[in-house]
Amino acid sequence: MTGNGLLSAPTLAAGGRQTDHEFRAAVPACLDAVEDLLADFRLGLKDVLGSPGYFSAELLLREALTNAVVHGSRCDPVLIVRCAVRANHKRLVIAVEDQGGGFDWRDAREREAEISACSGRGMEIFRKFASRVRFNRRGNGVVIQKFFDEGVDASQ
Amino acid sequence: MTDTVITWNDQEAIVHPAGDVVAALVPELRSALRGAVARGVREMKIDFSGVEMVDSTGLGLLISAHNSMSKAGGKLAVINASQEILDLFRSMRIHQHFSVSPGTAREKHTALETHPVEAQ
Repeated sequence: MTGNGLLSAPTLAAGGRQTDHEFRAAVPACLDAVEDLLADFRLGLKDVLGSPGYFSAELLLREALTNAVVHGSRCDPVLIVRCAVRANHKRLVIAVEDQGGGFDWRDAREREAEISACSGRGMEIFRKFASRVRFNRRGNGVVIQKFFDEGVDASQ
Repeated sequence: MTDTVITWNDQEAIVHPAGDVVAALVPELRSALRGAVARGVREMKIDFSGVEMVDSTGLGLLISAHNSMSKAGGKLAVINASQEILDLFRSMRIHQHFSVSPGTAREKHTALETHPVEAQ
């Protein structure tokens, strides 16, 4: 494990504006490790994607990682959460996988939180900020795509 | 990491979160907000000038704080939010609960948000 809580140093393959930037990391299933990962992600991609593209990218990655840690892995730091991100100025692809038993995304995907509810907004963020979201059959892996040419922010 | 700072002015509290309002940091902020509500504050403003990101857990905390304040006859507001956070609040209908406004330094870039939407 690295000093910042990551299981391995995150890899970032940087290209020019027209080329893909890749970010890969694996962390133990705990929220502090997710923050370490996201700090590296922010350092590597914030300037590349610019605002508000970066905001959407971090929000989507953050939601996927938090789901994997809290719901997928029950915050068990023995379990590992992996992520891979590929991004350029037109498209963002995020893949996150955990070692938990998976969750029933079929039931959750269309659920919208009651307006006064204090939880249940993660899937709504996926729906509003992502262009496509696909879970694997088991429910422990997700691939999220966002096309920036739909407008700077697909949520609007 | 520093703690959440709260400045008091009679019945008003201004809360400065220690960092982003996200899952890892929500427990500490929740504890600070509960303390402020318990102290009987009538108006709570959460200053987002140092906040770059809010996730679904953070949104849940803000709704919960709003519910607690409403029950006690008080009011919650978010001030100095960035344009990205204003957009997030709007798309998630958070602005229907309580006032959300940009900072004065950001206002010239956020003409649509210069009149915060009051809670319904």
